[in-house]
Amino acid sequence: MGKKVFIVDLSLCNGCHSCHIGCKDEHVANDWSPIAKPMPEIDHFWFKLQEKVRGTVPKVKVAYRPHFCMHCDNAPCMKVCPVGAKYKRDDGLVIIDPAKCTGCRKCIEICPYDAIYFNRDLNIAQKCTGCAHLIDAGWKETRCSDNCPTLCIRMMDEEDAKDLIAQAEVLKPELGTKPRVYYLHMPKKFIAGTVFDPVADEVHIGAECTLTGGGKTYKATSDHFGDFWFEDLPDAEFSLDIKVAGKSKAFTGLDTAEADINLGDIAI
Amino acid sequence: MSENKNPVATPGTAPPPVGADKTVVKAVNLSGGIFGACPAHVDVKDGKVIRIRPLHYDSKYDYASFNPWEMERNGIKFGPLSKSVPPPWGLAYKKRAYSPNRVPYPMKRVDWDPNGERNPQNRGSSKFERISWDEATDLIAAEIKRMHKEYGPLSILLQCDGHSESKLIHAPHGCSTLLLDKMGGFTQQVRNPDSWEGWYWGAKHVWGKGFIGNMAPAENLVVDMTENTELLVVQGGDLETTPWGFRGQFASRLMFFWQKAGMEQVYICPDLNYSAAVHANKWIPVLPNTDAALQLAIIYTWVTEGTYDKEYVATHAVGMDKIEDYVLGKVDGVVKTPKWAAGKTGIPSYTIKALARRWATRATTVGHYFGGGYIRGPYATEPARLECILLGMQGLGKPGQHHAQIAYMGMPKNITWDQLNYDIANSDTSKGFQEYSGTFETIKEKDPELHERIFNPHRGTPQAWGRQLIPKTLIEEAIKKGTDKYLEFWGTGGHEEEPIDQMIRYTYPAKKGDLRYTFGHGFDKAGQLQHDERDIDKTYHKIDYDGVPIHMVWTDTPCRQTCWGDGFDIGMTIRNPQIEFVLAQHPWLENDCIYADIVLPTNTYLEVDDVMPCVRDGEHFQTMLNMRQAIPPVGDSKSDFEAVVEIAKKLGKEKEVTIGRTVDQYIEGVYKGMNFDKITPWEEFQEKDYMVIPVSKNWRSLPAGLYEFYKDPVANPLPTPTGKLEFCSTNLQKFFPNDEERPPYPQWIEKGITHDERLSSDRARTYPLLIITNHPRWRVHAQADDIPWTKEAMTGKVRGYDGYLYEPCWINPQDAEARGIKTGDIVKVFNERGIVLCGALVIERIMPGAVSVDHGARTDIIIPGKLDRGGAINLITPKGLTSRHAGGQATTSFLVDVQRVSMEEMDCWRKEYPEQFGREYDRASGLRSSAWVERGSK
Repeated sequence: MGKKVFIVDLSLCNGCHSCHIGCKDEHVANDWSPIAKPMPEIDHFWFKLQEKVRGTVPKVKVAYRPHFCMHCDNAPCMKVCPVGAKYKRDDGLVIIDPAKCTGCRKCIEICPYDAIYFNRDLNIAQKCTGCAHLIDAGWKETRCSDNCPTLCIRMMDEEDAKDLIAQAEVLKPELGTKPRVYYLHMPKKFIAGTVFDPVADEVHIGAECTLTGGGKTYKATSDHFGDFWFEDLPDAEFSLDIKVAGKSKAFTGLDTAEADINLGDIAI
Repeated sequence: MSENKNPVATPGTAPPPVGADKTVVKAVNLSGGIFGACPAHVDVKDGKVIRIRPLHYDSKYDYASFNPWEMERNGIKFGPLSKSVPPPWGLAYKKRAYSPNRVPYPMKRVDWDPNGERNPQNRGSSKFERISWDEATDLIAAEIKRMHKEYGPLSILLQCDGHSESKLIHAPHGCSTLLLDKMGGFTQQVRNPDSWEGWYWGAKHVWGKGFIGNMAPAENLVVDMTENTELLVVQGGDLETTPWGFRGQFASRLMFFWQKAGMEQVYICPDLNYSAAVHANKWIPVLPNTDAALQLAIIYTWVTEGTYDKEYVATHAVGMDKIEDYVLGKVDGVVKTPKWAAGKTGIPSYTIKALARRWATRATTVGHYFGGGYIRGPYATEPARLECILLGMQGLGKPGQHHAQIAYMGMPKNITWDQLNYDIANSDTSKGFQEYSGTFETIKEKDPELHERIFNPHRGTPQAWGRQLIPKTLIEEAIKKGTDKYLEFWGTGGHEEEPIDQMIRYTYPAKKGDLRYTFGHGFDKAGQLQHDERDIDKTYHKIDYDGVPIHMVWTDTPCRQTCWGDGFDIGMTIRNPQIEFVLAQHPWLENDCIYADIVLPTNTYLEVDDVMPCVRDGEHFQTMLNMRQAIPPVGDSKSDFEAVVEIAKKLGKEKEVTIGRTVDQYIEGVYKGMNFDKITPWEEFQEKDYMVIPVSKNWRSLPAGLYEFYKDPVANPLPTPTGKLEFCSTNLQKFFPNDEERPPYPQWIEKGITHDERLSSDRARTYPLLIITNHPRWRVHAQADDIPWTKEAMTGKVRGYDGYLYEPCWINPQDAEARGIKTGDIVKVFNERGIVLCGALVIERIMPGAVSVDHGARTDIIIPGKLDRGGAINLITPKGLTSRHAGGQATTSFLVDVQRVSMEEMDCWRKEYPEQFGREYDRASGLRSSAWVERGSK
């Protein structure tokens, strides 16, 4: 059996929630023992679609991110389980055996990804199973990925996904948990604005914008709308110089750690 | 392996039905009508749905046999997936079937006594008791007989049109017409062309008929845009929301493809809608319903800078002189400069100029998918017509330059149009059939009785065919006329009516001598209508009977209060004692159902055998589905068709309704009638339950959009009186020369006799915010508001401190801060028409000065006519039409204020209306039907 990975290309997510709904449809009121007992109707998210609004009017983007069990190769939840209810399958999926779990909740506390939920009615911890019951029956995809209209989420054999994995990143790599969920095109931060000439009442096209911060310098020119965009920036403090038509304007202390920055319409 | 960029297809991955003892195929979209979309596999065990999942087209056929199409731009290829891409609520639809809000059994309002007091004043307030199907149909048959005897057949109004589940035989809307058409007729509620009012009542007068007012023909737009469009301006529409109801999520893939392949996408809308949120290169926020000012300033810029195609305009359009005079201020003394427009729209003048110049130098298409604040508000005819003029000034029909309902039309054709001789290529596409391949006309030729049985229930939307007519936007006005006054209106609103229909004055009650459209007549050899008075005589006939006022309402579309204008008034008007009996048939006890005297429980597509041709444009492939029953009927329900048959039995008309055939005979008749057995034999179709219609090998041969008109406007004229784009309309000039609300050429209308909904109004001092009421992301109009899982999305519902799930009201942080509003607060959205409670979502996705509440939430009326808790924003929309002579609704872009509801105010309401606040409520899905049942099983 090949090892499975999840490849999640965030540049293809439209936020439709079909993934989240596929997970609910499969697991609410359906008992897939021995892989999983049913998930509660609401407020439990074995699969959660996170949503973040970035920037301010009119420089706004929405970032969606599917979030679920990372099926870590070095899973903290497995280590703390006092009854050995967690096991890792040959295909890499991490499963909580509902028959063995005693509901001590230690795994819920330790999981750095907040991916495990406590089912009060059944007194067990529950989470994404990677639809192991379907994979075992011949499915090539999980419910979340089969429902995905844009192929943003895919379950793949690790062997076939090597090129993609090389370009991808995982959440909290510093913890050494070795997640099997890989994200492509994870958004970073942006600094953007519009440059215009208040006397001529025209946008400035081709203004030279130089951004410095985090030990790096970035260049951009304003486009046909007078807009400049610096995307994929790290969390750092930046300074910006804008030069156009022999005039210039400077900004300092632009800190992307808190949020994306829209400098608004800048009169030069 | 390359990067994960729009893989063309992933055939060969069809999943098995794990845990199921039965798998059936269903179309899970919710647009209704004769054609469906979004095929899905439904896995069932022990009569319960386990799961609903995308149909893998190749699970029973070889993928290559579908002849998949392919497109390419900048080296990136794009093609169909091997699976369908249904919308989220379609994949969650089992929750709808098992909703705690299902109508459990036939019910009668407790204080409605057909032999005594009818208490119409208590509709919407008093509760229901269980009766049997036998009792219910006895009562209904007796009422129909009494109506016919006392007033005549036309005293019964059928409200049976609009969107619904995809069912052909068990049509959710309109089965009642099968019965009453055989008993002397009925009064038809003619569906307003909702969602595209501006095009229907406006754009038609610029480019002739067009399909529902959109540009036509619209063949092959998708491939032409892929190859030639440089700039896509999306004005108001949301490609990540509105396509879902019709065709699922294919449009999402297309927009991602165009984005990655370098097509610039500019979104002009007050909100960062769901499409702009992930696809926009540029978002230009515009104050609601001020788009006309922006468009006029763009025209001004092009005129003053000389950057439009004067040669094209000279040969392809009439009326440019009038437009030029108007923007230059020669008509009203107001020069329509970018500065002037900036004051109306909230868009900086330098941005307007930048947009005008970009547009003038790039092959530009204006993209839509219905809806949005742009096309449904007061005077929506003006931005719609101005859009036609903008496109015309740059050469409409040139490669890459179109008006596009993106992927709704213009996809590669399937083999039905060439190999099965449907001959769409040679038909008059201006009549409107280019949105799908495959037609019902072949059934009409082979089996007219079956055609009538199948088609008539679905006819209430496209055609005004009832013996007496009332436009859907004027039902309340009609009732208020009483029994001795006439209502006059221009145009019926039937979706497929000619533009000339809008020049005809209709009356309710109908008068002998009134004009009525003659179906199947009136076209010349080229299939085109000549637009002069003689043709009114040719195309219309005079009726030889008088109508009567309505006294009974039969609805299978009980959503008026949350989908049409001034909903609070709708709820109050149905209490008029002139309406002696209100019958509703519906699966869920929601919205107008609660105002009925008898409610019949009908059921969902999961509960019946049916058949559905999914042949509309906008999916990967087109399919034909044998939709076998998945689960037994829930509760004491019957299908909408079966319910009508039960009534027909009591009236001795069963045979007339059923034409003496079984459901299986209908299915076989439709399949063979549409010639599908020429592709896949009937036996194989029965065994596999679906078939995929291969893509035509000749699909590229159809010219894109109005290319032929662009090449030679004399040889290929538009269906307008002059054959050209009419920047100034010949018909409007002739029939309504003095209409200040829809003048012969489009203008900026600050206010008029119909509407006063701008920030310049005195009313804006009290109601300073402009609200947009988009088509909902998590519903289809009123459908599917009880699915628990979609409510869990951030923009799904807002759970208030009282545990109730409130409809979100988007408000910009600036406006929220000024009002002390935080995300999660219960807020009231209000104007003089009433109060709607919502949950605040403070968000940068809406511009300052505007707020947004998706329309269609389920009503939860606390004080009739005044206060709603369900978030049904249409309860407080304007009553007026689009404008005086344009019979659309104007249900977005109007004045309100939003304020936080204090604990004290809420406590006051709770104390005064404890029963209403205490209605039985499911924490996951919302209101339960049991709240309205006073006496249970009998």
